[in-house]
Amino acid sequence: MAKERSYKAQKVIDRMGKKLNRQIVGSLVACVHCGNCTDSCHYVLANPGDPTYAPAYKADKIRSIFKRHFDWTGRLFPWWVHAKSLYTDEDLEELKDTVFGKCTNCRRCTINCPMGVDLATFNRMARGLLVSVGVMPEGVSVVSKDQWEIGNQMGVLKEDYIDTLEWLTEEMQMEDPKSPGIPIDSMEADVVYSINPREVKYDPRTISDAAIIFNAAGEKWTMPAEDWDMTNFGLFSGDDDLGGGVARRLFEKVVAIKGKKLVISECGHGYRSTRCEGPNWAKQDVSFPMESSVITMLEYIKSGKIKVDKSKNPGKFTFHDSCNNARSCGLTEEPRELLRLVCDDFQEMYPNRAENFCCTGGGGAMSMSEYTPRRLKSGKVKADQLKATGAEIVVTSCHNCVDGLTDLIKHYKLDMKVTQLVNLVANALVIEKPVEVPVEEVAAPVEVTPTEVEALVLKGYKILVADDEPDFVTFVSTVLEDNGAEVVKAYDGNQALEMARKEKPDLMTLDITMPGKSGIEVFEILRSDDELASIPVCIMTGKPELRQLIYERAVKPPEGYVDKPIDEDSIVLNIRKILELDKGKVK
Amino acid sequence: MADSIKVKNCNLRLLKGDITDLDIESFVYYAKEDLALGSGYGTAISVRGGPTIQKELDGFGKIKTTEAVVSMAGEMKAKYIIHANGPKFQEENLPEKLKQTILTSLQKAEEKGIKAIAFPPMGAGFYGVPLEQSAEITLNTIKEYLSGETKLEDAVVCLLDNREYLPFKNKLSSLK
Repeated sequence: MAKERSYKAQKVIDRMGKKLNRQIVGSLVACVHCGNCTDSCHYVLANPGDPTYAPAYKADKIRSIFKRHFDWTGRLFPWWVHAKSLYTDEDLEELKDTVFGKCTNCRRCTINCPMGVDLATFNRMARGLLVSVGVMPEGVSVVSKDQWEIGNQMGVLKEDYIDTLEWLTEEMQMEDPKSPGIPIDSMEADVVYSINPREVKYDPRTISDAAIIFNAAGEKWTMPAEDWDMTNFGLFSGDDDLGGGVARRLFEKVVAIKGKKLVISECGHGYRSTRCEGPNWAKQDVSFPMESSVITMLEYIKSGKIKVDKSKNPGKFTFHDSCNNARSCGLTEEPRELLRLVCDDFQEMYPNRAENFCCTGGGGAMSMSEYTPRRLKSGKVKADQLKATGAEIVVTSCHNCVDGLTDLIKHYKLDMKVTQLVNLVANALVIEKPVEVPVEEVAAPVEVTPTEVEALVLKGYKILVADDEPDFVTFVSTVLEDNGAEVVKAYDGNQALEMARKEKPDLMTLDITMPGKSGIEVFEILRSDDELASIPVCIMTGKPELRQLIYERAVKPPEGYVDKPIDEDSIVLNIRKILELDKGKVK
Repeated sequence: MADSIKVKNCNLRLLKGDITDLDIESFVYYAKEDLALGSGYGTAISVRGGPTIQKELDGFGKIKTTEAVVSMAGEMKAKYIIHANGPKFQEENLPEKLKQTILTSLQKAEEKGIKAIAFPPMGAGFYGVPLEQSAEITLNTIKEYLSGETKLEDAVVCLLDNREYLPFKNKLSSLK
């Protein structure tokens, strides 16, 4: 009697037939199980005793289904070629665990395969098949839905995006009243600059640094008012419709504002999705050139449009290649050339370029918190690589890698920082100011010391700092008080809630792991309480596994999220952004 | 940018934009069984509308596929949100369930005395209903409902981008 098959399993098999193209079939039939791929995978290297991480093993989970249903050998002699079907919803869950939880689609096994088997391509296909029947990690579901419906991966609403850009413009114009700031939807622009939503939400300095560089180069540039997200979760979830929909929005927007070139900020998967895969998913030709901002910045320096002084970036640097940039798009030399122009001491890591190891955050792994322990364990390979460089700062051209590496540095207790090229170029800029002719008989300005100016920025705000590390509370409180804020303190979860109710602060910084109620519990209670729900929250944590607050949420996400360790400038910038953008909003 | 037809005394029209930011009396949210707002338009509802909406929804418990409930819309431009639990991800008997979900939403609006209602492209996007199928079922069902006895005056389908808009425009043209 034929074994009964679940409705979802049948749908997966039916749809698989429609997804098979020459590239996928070629990879599915070509494997000779030589084992060359095994040592190329960071999961295998970190789990030597567990064969289920081997690329060939993972590939066989998908290959066996293909053989059973679409290859004549498996249809006739299933026992001979290890063909196997899917029957139950549990089989789907097991497949989910492999294709989402044991592979970051980094493609390192592919370049080490003598047969050219591209596991990532059919692993992505398998992800897409599961997503089509609703089987996926919660984080994948949250992020995909945000991008489908809000238009970006982090659910940033249009008003928050515009407010952030306008706030950054004000900041720039406070420094330099003649600064054009960030032009929005300019119809005269040669360059349209698209970004990762992480930049708006949690790393606005990368936007202002890029703006400073564009303006210093005298570029006619703009950012789109909407459809600005160059990331594409379709690459990770395997959903080609999402991939096409997201790419099309951005392409149509560039045309609508008559942009001549699209520049993509430093993001590995965004670059690959937009420039390389987007036109195929969207099924349309793109009439304008697209380039990584790395290439744009390099061209500005080489052509003399901007000048840089590498001595402004002291320290020992190394460079981490994003998998999507290096392995899938060949972007390996330009970032190194640029890095050498903006720093003195660059130490290559080994292996590098297309052979570099994954940061462990690729393939959407940062959004799948259920696999975080596996991810961190597999990061041992990367951590060893980083440590061997002896560098103090690791540079990368990818926002996912920034988060992935930050987590590993914390987990493996490495004394390193992560930064991006845009930050280094902006920091190294030499801006020649016009010589001002002194005007006589003008009263000398009253001297205001930097400390006095900074003291004004948080004046009038009451901030609750909740963290169980007394040293950290003291540090953050001192920084906030030095900048004029009134600070109240809490050292555990219960006290944090009590103080929030009693003091009604303008903002709360929240650690995640505290005695009593955890930060997550505190956060959910805050958000569900009518009186407290509108208090802006800035998470300050050193616990990588708690990124779920960003990626999996039943409640409104935190207004800020900052990884420890954190410096004084970052504290003030992030707190100010939240507080100043919160003004005037419905409470 | 509007395409519309008149069905008895009610306009049936298409708009392009974010449904949660529409200045209209009510809109439909394609909800989950547990009525948790979650991400996507759910994020927009929580952020723009405030925490009272989820609190009100928590009082309803769970609803079955094709059922709907009406909540207030908090601080949003709309007054009401109709939370409709439609079929998802190639579910069995999807066309029938999708049609019934749309009908239930219209009936719930009518019970509340609502005169204007906006729908998203029902089931399309994240939940995987092909846009052409969503357009066919959504527009046919609304038109069929408006052809009967109703006090509704304005029925809108709000589409986020050209990709969503064009299949609905094509379908609406065929209904003229």
